[in-house]
Amino acid sequence: MVKPVLLPTDVAFLSSLLLVGLYFWAVRRDLLMRERWRTVLATPTGGAAALILCLYVAVAGLDCLRVEINGETKSLLDYLVSPLREHVETTYSAPFAAYGYAREVIPGASGAARQDYPRLRYGARHLAQPSRQMHADVLRRGMAGAGLGLLFLGGLLALVNRLRGRPLAGMFTPLTESTWRLQWLTAASICLALGWVICLAPYYHVLGTDKVGNDVLYLTLKSIRTGLVLGVVSSFITLPLAVIFGIPAGYFGGWIDDLVQYLYTTFSSVPGVLLIASAALSLDLLLQQHASAFPSLLARADMKLLALCLVLGLTGWTGLCRLLRADVMKLRVAEFVTAARALGTPPLKILLQHLLPNTFHLILITTVLDFSGLVLAEAVLTYVDIGVDPSMESWGNMINGARLELAREPAVWWSLLAAFCGMLGLVLAANLFADAMRDAFDPKLRGATSPSSS
Amino acid sequence: MTYLIRRILYAVPILLGVNVITFVLFFVVNSPDNMARMHLGQRYVTEQAIENWKHVHGYDLPRLWNPEAAGTGHVTRTIFYQNSVRLFMLDFGRSDGGRDIGFDIRQRMVPSLSIAVPVLIIELFLSVAFGLAVALLRGSYLDRWITLLCVAGMSISSLFFIIAGQYLVARVWRLAPISGYAGGLESVKFLVLPVFVQVISGLGANVRWNRTVFLEEVSRDYVRTAWAKGLTESGVLSRHILRNALLPLLTTIVVTLPGLFLGSLITESFFAIPGLGSYTIDAIQSQDFAIVRAMVFLGSLLYIVGLMLTDISYAWADPRVRLAET
Amino acid sequence: MSLLEIQDLIIEVGRAGAPAQVVAGLNLCVERGSTTVLVGESGSGKSMSALGIVRLLPRAARIKGGAVLLEGQDLLRISEAAMCDVRGARIGFVFQEPQDALNPVMRVGDQIGEVLTRHRGLRGLARRTRVVELLEAVGIPEAGQRLNGYPHQFSGGMKQRVMLAIALAGEPDLLIADAPTTALDVSTQAQILTLLRSEQQQRGMGMLFITHDLAVAHQVADTLAVMQAGRLVEIGSHADIFERPTHPYTQHLLRVSPRIQPDLAPPPLPVEAEPLLIARGLCVRFPGRRGLFGRIITQVTAVDNVDLIVHGGETVAIVGESGSGKTTLGRGLLRLLQVDAGSVNFGGREFFELDRKALRQARRDIQVVFQDPFSSMNPRLTVREIIEEGMTAQGLGGSRQGREQRVARLLEQVGLEAASIARFPHEFSGGQRQRICIARALAVEPKLLVCDEPTSALDVSVQAQILTLLRTLQQEMGLAYLFITHNLGVVAQIAHRVVVMHQGRIVESGPTQTVLFKPTHPYTQSLLAAVPRLP
Repeated sequence: MVKPVLLPTDVAFLSSLLLVGLYFWAVRRDLLMRERWRTVLATPTGGAAALILCLYVAVAGLDCLRVEINGETKSLLDYLVSPLREHVETTYSAPFAAYGYAREVIPGASGAARQDYPRLRYGARHLAQPSRQMHADVLRRGMAGAGLGLLFLGGLLALVNRLRGRPLAGMFTPLTESTWRLQWLTAASICLALGWVICLAPYYHVLGTDKVGNDVLYLTLKSIRTGLVLGVVSSFITLPLAVIFGIPAGYFGGWIDDLVQYLYTTFSSVPGVLLIASAALSLDLLLQQHASAFPSLLARADMKLLALCLVLGLTGWTGLCRLLRADVMKLRVAEFVTAARALGTPPLKILLQHLLPNTFHLILITTVLDFSGLVLAEAVLTYVDIGVDPSMESWGNMINGARLELAREPAVWWSLLAAFCGMLGLVLAANLFADAMRDAFDPKLRGATSPSSS
Repeated sequence: MTYLIRRILYAVPILLGVNVITFVLFFVVNSPDNMARMHLGQRYVTEQAIENWKHVHGYDLPRLWNPEAAGTGHVTRTIFYQNSVRLFMLDFGRSDGGRDIGFDIRQRMVPSLSIAVPVLIIELFLSVAFGLAVALLRGSYLDRWITLLCVAGMSISSLFFIIAGQYLVARVWRLAPISGYAGGLESVKFLVLPVFVQVISGLGANVRWNRTVFLEEVSRDYVRTAWAKGLTESGVLSRHILRNALLPLLTTIVVTLPGLFLGSLITESFFAIPGLGSYTIDAIQSQDFAIVRAMVFLGSLLYIVGLMLTDISYAWADPRVRLAET
Repeated sequence: MSLLEIQDLIIEVGRAGAPAQVVAGLNLCVERGSTTVLVGESGSGKSMSALGIVRLLPRAARIKGGAVLLEGQDLLRISEAAMCDVRGARIGFVFQEPQDALNPVMRVGDQIGEVLTRHRGLRGLARRTRVVELLEAVGIPEAGQRLNGYPHQFSGGMKQRVMLAIALAGEPDLLIADAPTTALDVSTQAQILTLLRSEQQQRGMGMLFITHDLAVAHQVADTLAVMQAGRLVEIGSHADIFERPTHPYTQHLLRVSPRIQPDLAPPPLPVEAEPLLIARGLCVRFPGRRGLFGRIITQVTAVDNVDLIVHGGETVAIVGESGSGKTTLGRGLLRLLQVDAGSVNFGGREFFELDRKALRQARRDIQVVFQDPFSSMNPRLTVREIIEEGMTAQGLGGSRQGREQRVARLLEQVGLEAASIARFPHEFSGGQRQRICIARALAVEPKLLVCDEPTSALDVSVQAQILTLLRTLQQEMGLAYLFITHNLGVVAQIAHRVVVMHQGRIVESGPTQTVLFKPTHPYTQSLLAAVPRLP
């Protein structure tokens, strides 16, 4: 029995991606916008960040497409990395370990039990004498992985050259152009990482295992979806609220403005975490009461994630709303808006045709910045116990667990490191991308005067 | 004076709105029955126990409208009215666990402040210094690297800073106790680490913000005038740029001042400091709605005071602004 | 030896990969006790040259070569510290925008005193006395008290006087004035020009004066240098340039610069045409201070009881200085802002009594063209969408194809290629944008066009083209114009009748010939006297 399963957050996330796609389709003929997006990608950090974001989105997207087979629901990602998912040890093990983290009682061949580090069930299973063979094996597989990665990179380069219509002989010219160097280095790193994962991860726990023996790399990959869903879906709930309140408030003024100002002052006067906590607590209680309505643990955890997105979205609109209102108040007196009024253009059309497109860069930049804030907030909220469900893989849960793991002797550091890297990659990429966008779309800070040193 | 009166009058509907939000969240989305059941344990609860619990906490009244009471009692003998009025009188009542919230808040203010104030001062000093340095070196490699570093700092979860700080400073290097608190001078050694960690984790965002503010000022025409006067770099900087840049900085700082009382939720909780932040976290984790509600109210009250202080300080610092016109 | 000698100055802007020379080898001398005026249209590199002399170029620009000799010393080859001793002490600088050039949060007295402390070592009472002397010298009354004021308490002209006091405080040998009167009204401009000229002569300074306005140059120059696209095209004495210009560009500039001459103005319409617009007793007030609960305590009256008639096919110019209420009057007539009293009858209909829907339809007959060619079009729309906007709103032009043909026709009418239709505003120059704005207004076939300073942001040669276009369109289509401007030279070229506004009221009105050449009201007389004129 095979049937596709779509959880509510999957739908929300995938349709958000669709909307982003639609946006790019809509502006493709707008030369100015195309030029600006090109500038974003041509900024070394911006282009590199875009690549990394794409990678994250791809992983999360794969994780959102699921099928149910024989009562077990798995995503495409699960199938792709099934060795990682299935190689479950009994408890902690360090990265690239062949033996367990703690001594156990092992029944010896002669029947006499002894205390020792047990061999892992899957980690380095293919080696007969791990202590002697491991270095050589890791090196060999590492080289193979690097080779595979370079192959990917070569393919990519060839493809880009083909699309640009450059001769094959000039294949490596993109690597020498200074504007595109960082972007290509990032692409190369991604390719290498992919190669290594493909060649090493099925044989070792590259990032170790957690308390119940799950592969940490697998957990990190699964956490990507949680973080992205939270950030993206919350942002897409925030957007319409901020736009619907902010733009009319700025344009019409009067009582509409008073009302909106009152609303956002009230909302932003409540300390952020408390407002989120209160709302999340209440929704949590509500979910508890209707626990029977959800068929599986997965569905319930997903509902909780959606509720959290809802809470974050509903409480997060004030910042953007305020910015939009201020910006529209400036645009309202711009001559092209006055001209539109003089031509008899109806107000709704002025809002949609003149004000919205001209505040769009602000919306985009703020959204991407808010997005990174939301991903970070997940960890904090999980710590406060109002974040995602403990059964759901997330960086927050990993960091939360790491607090106790670090206190162990020897310290279990790999979960924290994995969560840290996963999160840093996403948030840093989003922040850098927002920066590049701001430089391209809002070039206010250019051209400052200073004494020129000749 | 008129200004102050107007602001205070304006604050009332906002606080009322805040109360409506918390009320909707706590009493409409979830009925008091549910709360009682949750506090008393999910299953083995008699109807009588629930009624008792509700009565003790004053939740046995109707929510918004009391048809049974006489006259103004229609409105006053309700959960909403009783709760709101009490809060407006700054009487926070008792927590669902039975403690006097007002007393707790007064007691826990001191540890919160003793973290928040040093953090604010050190942070301000460091971020202005760095921000200014970076703004002056703009376009150079140093600027690019520090900016990148700031973005990286912003991109790291504050939890990580805390965990890493505790691990390295307290466990590996044993420079400070890992957590805890003591009264009096004793407290200093417990405060060093949390203050340090909080400063570091906020530095990236603050330096970047200051850099933007300074850059915006550097590009203004009056700065060019200052250069044209033949002033040296330090003269232009201290007398012109810094003075003007302080205005936007002032707004961002003053509005947070009253909120310092509330302390930092995460830091206090991690370092086991008995401040208002950890108080709130504990309340959230034990689902003590009375405390959460009180803290929400206090938080918004302090925010509004912060807004008012911002306007006043602006009028004081910027000759162009007069309160009567705002 | 000249006071200032610029040799082969080259200034570049843009990235290192694709630099553009904004100043391409400038050679210029400024002598002691004389004024050299650098004239050029926007983009000619005149301001960049001035900033380059004191090494205060914007970050995007840099000096690529040449020498700037101040009494023989090359300023481009001394250290930054030494340069700081030159700026303010030996070279004083007056900038274009007095609004932005003063530090908003510093007392005016301190801003002047700073220079005295830095270069003259004055402190305390000595410094204060000198500041008062300087303020009095630049004509600020009650200097003793005003030095404690902040810039926002001063008017534009007063700020420019303060700026001049700052520049003079270091007792410089050379004064560079970068279009110091562009942002000011004509009467203030006249005062500042006189002041600059007298200070320069009294102190025996050399002055480098930058302007785009030949009439201003005519008033202050001993020597004139004309720049075009980064190059010096002609340099000569006052008499050389104005009486015997040799370079074609100089001749062209002189030809297109507006003059106030009787023979240029169109005569009043011969037949008394039917009145198109009759405005009676218009008042517009803006709220000033507000009290508790937002009650309005004081009001500023921007337009005070104004009557106005425009006939079909006629051009009526509304002239006034900034703050005279001329723009507010224009917007009030268009019902783009709330009018507090009065009535407007437009083509037989009471314009102010129309309900929202009828108003939207009636807007067809009365259109507007604005000053700023950069903010007057939505940067996100194509030219076609911009021009179509009115047709769609008014339901004109029929099908999509019909509209497209009409847009093409309109573009042709305003002198643009039909191929412009799919392009975006940022691809056009200022003059071209203004043409698109005119096409947008014409698309709904209005009877009256309100032109709010339509040429003020344009260079003189482009201004002349736009004025010609407007005149042609009027002849072809019988349009009436309400032409709002501060520029009396433009009025002389285009208006049938002139209305002079001052502080919200109409002080004088009549046929152009009468108002401009036989004015009766003292305000009109003083205004006309202040206008700098070309021979």
